[in-house]
Amino acid sequence: MIARAASRLTAEERLAYLLLGPALLLMAALIFYPVGATIVTAFGATDKLGRISGFVGWGNFRALGADPAFWQIFRRTFLWTALGVTVKTTAGLGLALLLNLPFRGRKVARMLTVIPWAIPYPISAIVWQWTYNSQFGLLNQFLTTTGLWPHPPAWLAEPRSAFAATMAVDIWIGLPFFALVFLAGLQAISPEYYEAAAIDGAGAGARFAAVTLPFLRPVIVMGSLLSVIWTFNDFSVPYIVTKGGPMNTTDILVTHMYKTAFQFLDFGPASAIAVITFVTLLAFSVVYARLYFREVV
Amino acid sequence: MPDHPAAAAARLPALRGRRGRSRRWRAAILEGGGWTLSGLALFVLLFPILVMLSTSLKTLNDVYRVPPSWVPAPLTLQNFADIWTRYPLGTYMRNSLIIGVGATLLNLAAAIPAGYAVARLRFRGRETFMLLLLLIQMFSPIVVLIPLFKIMAALHWLDTYWALIVTNTVFTLAFSIWMLASYFRAIPGEIEEAALVDGCTRPQTILRIAIPVAAPGVVTTIIYVFITAWNEFVFALTFISRTEMRTLTVGLYTFIGRWAVQWHYLMAAALVGIVPVVILFMFVERHLVRGLALGSVK
Repeated sequence: MIARAASRLTAEERLAYLLLGPALLLMAALIFYPVGATIVTAFGATDKLGRISGFVGWGNFRALGADPAFWQIFRRTFLWTALGVTVKTTAGLGLALLLNLPFRGRKVARMLTVIPWAIPYPISAIVWQWTYNSQFGLLNQFLTTTGLWPHPPAWLAEPRSAFAATMAVDIWIGLPFFALVFLAGLQAISPEYYEAAAIDGAGAGARFAAVTLPFLRPVIVMGSLLSVIWTFNDFSVPYIVTKGGPMNTTDILVTHMYKTAFQFLDFGPASAIAVITFVTLLAFSVVYARLYFREVV
Repeated sequence: MPDHPAAAAARLPALRGRRGRSRRWRAAILEGGGWTLSGLALFVLLFPILVMLSTSLKTLNDVYRVPPSWVPAPLTLQNFADIWTRYPLGTYMRNSLIIGVGATLLNLAAAIPAGYAVARLRFRGRETFMLLLLLIQMFSPIVVLIPLFKIMAALHWLDTYWALIVTNTVFTLAFSIWMLASYFRAIPGEIEEAALVDGCTRPQTILRIAIPVAAPGVVTTIIYVFITAWNEFVFALTFISRTEMRTLTVGLYTFIGRWAVQWHYLMAAALVGIVPVVILFMFVERHLVRGLALGSVK
């Protein structure tokens, strides 16, 4: 059977499968199998070592659904993602337009813009944690001495300000990607379109709406899709800056999943959270990717 | 209502002459505005970097002074010498380097043939494979952390380089294949056909022609995988428990937990840890942006 199937392959196909072999094997072992295992574990009862001792059907999911703390984290993750991506997209576009202005030093400015993206997330999170320090941190020192904010909060000590502060770190890390990808998109627009629009009497706002935005559409769609995934899954920032605190008020789904699995050793419920995360993003990506392919292909 | 931009562009040359003076004014305004606004933006973006720099040059007493000051008094470079002996920073960096290089090599070994196959060969399931790559690109590794942990435990790979080499390899693979395929596709087919006609085998054409011509893509891939592995946190946090096996990111993270934090050392170590990746990053950033945009930037 196999020999006959193989003989029906062309020489080119056999070579192709041979070349794809190592990559497929690695992905099968460390992506496809684990995805399957996560799904199976999500329906199982597990011991403290993560071994499945029996199946509970939708039990893990139902337990999560009945837990108000989980819903709070679920809603917070959406707020975290929606706010984060919106701010990154708009501010990134602003920064890109700025870096697209013809001034001397823009090359240097562009290069420095890369830095927050280039630094390892965990290191950024550590540096920000120190920057936010309410007693010795230079952020509050700066805000008070310049008079910008005479009485700033003790950022990481209170739920509201801790959430805002953690958000800000995620935005700070993600901003350069948007700025640079938008800048690449802007530079691909031929200047003639702007000149033509200007001759037709279009002001700066009209030129932006009639030329810039339509040309940037595919970039905005793709960039925000990736950003939704990255933001939704940002583990190191909440985990390091606040450890999800104070009192779990900065936990999002992925940090909650990590704690459930590796601190409380509840591997079944943790796998259920992983499945929820995965399905949510998959559904989102599929809808979004359709949109994207209609744009680009 | 403006007519089609291209039609208006055709009328352009006649109008250019009398706009000279207002153009010079415009340029000056743009220059000044660009400077001021980008200066402000950069100040915000680099604020924590300045904090890191300032703290790394302070003494312990100076770090815990109220109110804090930007200018270190006294200014010291001692921290940059101390971190190597007070902390196993050298070990952490060596571990990250080994894992980064290992992941890069393994990744190339799998991604170059796969990228070549996708770009150059016709086979059933090609479209499905490309779609799979796209899906994996949108997939977060943290979702499969639990089964991966169990796999590593079963293989007795916890606390070894292998655990992190293979995971970093696999989760950069989709992007590498995608990226390399786009470079391989850009090589004119005739070059390879000529080599095949001259009696080269496929593997020889890949090694002698495709890889050298696609060198910029290979370099970008190398740097991308290395940086991703160097920056990785959650796998290293989960798979490694022995101090001497820690990577740089997890090593620095564990500095926080113990005692009163020695922020001057931590910031100095952080600075040392980011310099190599930031420099590498600046080299490939344009290629990365284009690759990550998955075709949305032409």
